[in-house]
Order: sequence, then structure tokens, then C-alpha cells
Amino acid sequence: MSTDRLTIVLDRLLPGDPDAGWPAAGALGLADKARQMAAERGDADRLAGIVAALPADFDDVSEAGQVAALKALEADQPDAFDLLILYAYGVYYTDPRVRDVVEARTGYPNRPPQPEGYELPPFDERLLDKVKQRPPFWRRP
Amino acid sequence: MHATADPHVDAVIVGAGAAGAAVAWRMAKAGLSVSVLDRGPWLNQQEAANSRDDWEWVMCTDHHPDPGIRKAPADYPVTADDTPIRPAYYAGIGGSTLHWGAHFPRFHPSDFKTFTLDGVGRDWPIDYWDLEPYYDLNDQIMGVSGLAGDPANPVRASRAMPPVPLCAGTQRLAEAADRLGWHWWPSDSAINLDQDGLGRNCCNQCGPCGMGCPRHARASTDITYWPLAIEAGVTVRPEATVGRIETDDDGRARSVLWRDRDGAWHRQAADLIVLAANGMGTPRLMLHSTSAAHPNGIGNRSDQVGRHLMHHPTALVSGVFDESLGPPAGPFACALYSQEFYETDRGDTGAMRGYQMQAIRGQGPLGTALGGYVTRLDWGGDHHRQFENSFQHTVSLTVTTEDLPEPENRVDLDDRAEDAAGVPAARLTYRVSENSQRLLTHGIERTTGWLREAGATETKVTALSRQAGFHFLGTVAMGEDPDRFVVDPAGRVRDCPGLAVVDGSVFPSAGGVNPTSTLQANALRLADLLAGQTPMRRGRAEARDMTT
Repeated sequence: MSTDRLTIVLDRLLPGDPDAGWPAAGALGLADKARQMAAERGDADRLAGIVAALPADFDDVSEAGQVAALKALEADQPDAFDLLILYAYGVYYTDPRVRDVVEARTGYPNRPPQPEGYELPPFDERLLDKVKQRPPFWRRP
Repeated sequence: MHATADPHVDAVIVGAGAAGAAVAWRMAKAGLSVSVLDRGPWLNQQEAANSRDDWEWVMCTDHHPDPGIRKAPADYPVTADDTPIRPAYYAGIGGSTLHWGAHFPRFHPSDFKTFTLDGVGRDWPIDYWDLEPYYDLNDQIMGVSGLAGDPANPVRASRAMPPVPLCAGTQRLAEAADRLGWHWWPSDSAINLDQDGLGRNCCNQCGPCGMGCPRHARASTDITYWPLAIEAGVTVRPEATVGRIETDDDGRARSVLWRDRDGAWHRQAADLIVLAANGMGTPRLMLHSTSAAHPNGIGNRSDQVGRHLMHHPTALVSGVFDESLGPPAGPFACALYSQEFYETDRGDTGAMRGYQMQAIRGQGPLGTALGGYVTRLDWGGDHHRQFENSFQHTVSLTVTTEDLPEPENRVDLDDRAEDAAGVPAARLTYRVSENSQRLLTHGIERTTGWLREAGATETKVTALSRQAGFHFLGTVAMGEDPDRFVVDPAGRVRDCPGLAVVDGSVFPSAGGVNPTSTLQANALRLADLLAGQTPMRRGRAEARDMTT
């Protein structure tokens, strides 16, 4: 059975890095979710259209050939390609498995900003010691 | 068309955002009966998506500031294919304050007198000290954290709350500014930092203020002015889309025709009709409201309505650091700013007027990848390396330039699309002027140097942020000369008795800072004048002597 073209596209856009633990987007099985996200915003046809605009033999050429075809598409149809990127990056970076990798690699917690928020030390007014020595320099009308 | 007659009121206000809220409250306190119409709904910020796992997706789509991306039911169509800067606004009770960053600077005294001082732009019919008491009043209601004593600005009253905290990235910027000998100062922010203050929760530094604040720490007029206005007797009608302003045979504004959420039409008659639909929506409505007395649109006898559109053309330079700066904590748009190059220094910048540099904290993972205001990360084999190098390693600086009023930059109508009330799309025609471009070029060079001094090993330049059309100013300007200014110094539309404008449309100049504080202060002043009240006493005389 042939692989879904959007899955191939996702794997070329976000190919993963096994050494660092980053999964490839297509291999995560995110194509259907991407289509669903597009459908929810009325973009299903546009997303399908940009994928269909790739060369007919896209699925069968080498990975290098697929990357070249995507680069050509990006150059020819930048706005449509931006839409493809929105759904590719969107489905990838909101996937909990990817957020786990983000947490493992960067320490950024896999949780929304609220309700916990973050802690920062209060503003230290001593930082302004030098600026405070400057006389007023706004301009008189 | 059948339209139900609403009970007559002293004043009907179109637009429930930053300006409309301030005017409604002030007029109601003066004893006027006030009704307010807004095309958007009430939003419950306690249900804001920043508590959801898909918060970043929502921020990049359904809550995006660009209506062309957001596609919300309340948005009106905007044609933006002849401008390099996309529109950003929000329709709802609270307007764009529902999704703003709450950076709350004031104009400088020179911003009100650019023609007198520099021979460019248009003077305001008032000065900084006319507005100072209204700035202070507005600060009390919105709730402002910050620190008085900034040498780049006139003396001002003590801030109610301390400044928002710096993070690792913004602290590096502060220290670097000191080494460069440059001005910097912690932001005035309309954000509550007092645990028990204002009946709102304290900010917990979650970051994406633009999504709405479930803690009600970040101010927006739905939680500041509107409760006070409603308590004072104001009637607020959400999801009320205005179709036109109606005038009588003599050309006087008499009523507003509006459509409710069920498609039924209403006619709201009032002694005074007040437009507060922002610098794009207000001229759109005026141009559409043609009649025998106003064949080219209300107030448009001299073809001035919609012209002189001013944005704040913005560049953004991001600095990438080798070391991690930690999670993107703290209000994204509020930390610190520099006004080292704010006042005119033509020998240095090659331009008139100036710009502000404002720190922008890091974004979440998806925001980092997509870029938003900055360039997105590359796709392909290098993507994951770029992500690890950028995420939690980046802090940015804006270059927020003062735009000058150019008549060719404008808002007009595009009949190819219309909203549910039959009002055509707003069409934006805009070019970045040579003067603004020079300021941007100068600012990019200086912010790059600032970030390098702070330790950034790589800088990325967005020469003009496409998604930065969040300020629409000057399109129905106020002034003394009736041939040049549609609106008089009290906000009254000269050619149309019974009609006033109180939003950013009336700004003769744009300044080089976020305008909301000035916009609301001026709206309060206009409300006093329109309601027949004596304006508040001018600001402190001693402050005027604190100049070099």
C-alpha cells in the first residue's frame, strides 16, 4: 500500500533527528490530524490543493528529489506554502509526544502557561542606578 | 426596511474598545444616558485558551490578531493587498485590549508639536500637560505597574505597582544598555502586580498576554472600564453591527441603524453619536454613510476622511544566545524599553522624529517555529537544530518608528465585499515613507548592536514586521484648521452636527510608542468636552521645567 502523500510531505518538512530524539512528523501519523485541523478552519481544500500541486511522481522520487520539489513549490506559491507550513508545524508542535521531546531537550514543561505560570524574581531597582544619574533629556516643545 | 426604534438616549457610542469604554464611563458619570453598540461579543477571559494544551495553535489561528487569519464571525472584511502591513484588531466588548500586550507608555511632549518643532506632520490642538491629568485618571482605572523617574519622559505620578520582573534575556539587555551608555527603563504596563489590587489577581508571568488573561491581571476594558460604566447606567449592546449613521435633511446626525445577532434591525436615535470604532472602522463607517447632505460620506467635504493613515512601522531584531535563557516567562511585550533615539536627531538618523526600542520576550515552541512577528524556522533537515538553538535562547527588540501623516496612505471602501450589515470592506492603501524607512534602517543597526553587546552570537532581522498593523491613527484628525481637519479640538465632526469621533482616528500625529494610554486619556478629555463639562486642570507646571 502506498504511503499517503501528506505523510511523505510532513516527513520532508520535519524529518526528525534520531540522535537528538526528535521524531519525524509523518512517522508520528500526523497527516490525518493535520487534515482535521485544516478542515476545522475551512482550509481542507487549500491544504489538499497545495499537496496536489506537487509533481505527479513526487511519491516515487528520492528524498532529495522530494525536497527539491517542495523548494520549487515554496518558490512558486509562497502563500500556499505558508499554509502548508502552518498545518505542518501546528500539528507537530501541539502533539503531546513532541512536547515531551521539547521538555526533555530544553526543560520547557509540557503544560500550558496557565494556571501555574512561571516564577520570576521581582524587579531589582538597583539595576537602574546608572540610568537614574542621567539628567532628563526629553525635548521641550 | 423595518427597524425597531430603541429608546432615545443622550449619546450612543459605536465601539466598545479602549476609547469607547472610557468615553461611556465618563459621560455616564456626567449624567448622560448612554448606549453602546459593538459588533463583537462579550468574552469570558477566564476561559482563555492559555490553559489548554493546544494554546499555541489557538493563538496562531482562532485568536490571531489578523482578522484575515482569525476569521471570527464579528470581523468585517478588510482588503489589504496594497499594503505591506497586515491589519490587526479585535472585535468584542473590550476591543483590541482583549488581545493586546498592555505596554502602556505615554507620548512625549514633542509628539504633540511635530510641526512646530520639526516642520513635519501636524500639531495637536492641545499639549502634553492638557492630557496629563487624564493620563493619571486613566492609569488609576486601568491599573499600571512601572516606575516613575524615567529621564526620557516628564515627571509623572508614582506608579501604583512595581515594574513587571525582568527575565534572563531582558536583564542582559538592561546591563548591555548600561555598558553602551544608553537609556533604558522598565515598562509602564497595564498589568496588575498587586496580589489584592484592583479586585484582580496578580500576574503570574505566564507570558502570552495576547490570548486574554484568565487571571484578569492584564487590563482590558471589559474588566476595567465596563463594570464601572455599567454601574453608572450605561447600556452595552454586544453583537450589534452598525449599518450606517443617519442624518436629517440639514445634515445633522440623528440616529444609528444597527443589526442585532438575529438579523433584526434597530434605530438608535441620540442627541450625540460618538464613533469609537478605531482608525480603520470609524472612517469606514463615515465614508459609507452617504446622503443628500453628505454625498461623499459624512465629514468628507474636503476628501480628508480616511486619509493620513499612520501605523507604527516596526522592525524586529532577534538575538540568539549560546546559553539558555530559560522558559518564556513574563508578559511578552512588557519588560523594558529604550528611548535613546526617540527625539529628532537628523544628524544621526538622517530622518525626522525617532523611534522606541522595546524588548520582546521569547515565544513558546510553536511560536518559535512559525516565527509570527519574525521569520519562521526553516523546514527540512536543519529544522530541529535551528529549533534547539532558538527556543529559550532568543530575546528580541522592536524598532517602533513614528510614522508621519501622508495623504496617500488611507482607508477607503472596497465594494467587492461587505459585512452582514451591508457595509463595504475597508481597503488599506499604504506605503512605508522614506522617513520611516530611514528610522527603521537606523534602528535595525542600533538594536543589532545592542543585542550583540548583550551577548547574542547571532541576530535575525525582520526589516518590516508584516503582522504589526495594530495601530490605526490619524484618519479623521482633529485640529484648528477646518480645511485640513475633519474634527475640531473637541472631537466634533465639523460638517455634521451631532457626530463626534473619540478614537485613534483623531490623532494628528502618531508618536513612536504604543498609543493606547494617549488614546484613552484623549478620549476622557473629549468626553468631558462633549458632555459640557469643564476639562480637568492642566498638569503640573513644575514638570515643564524638568527639561535639558
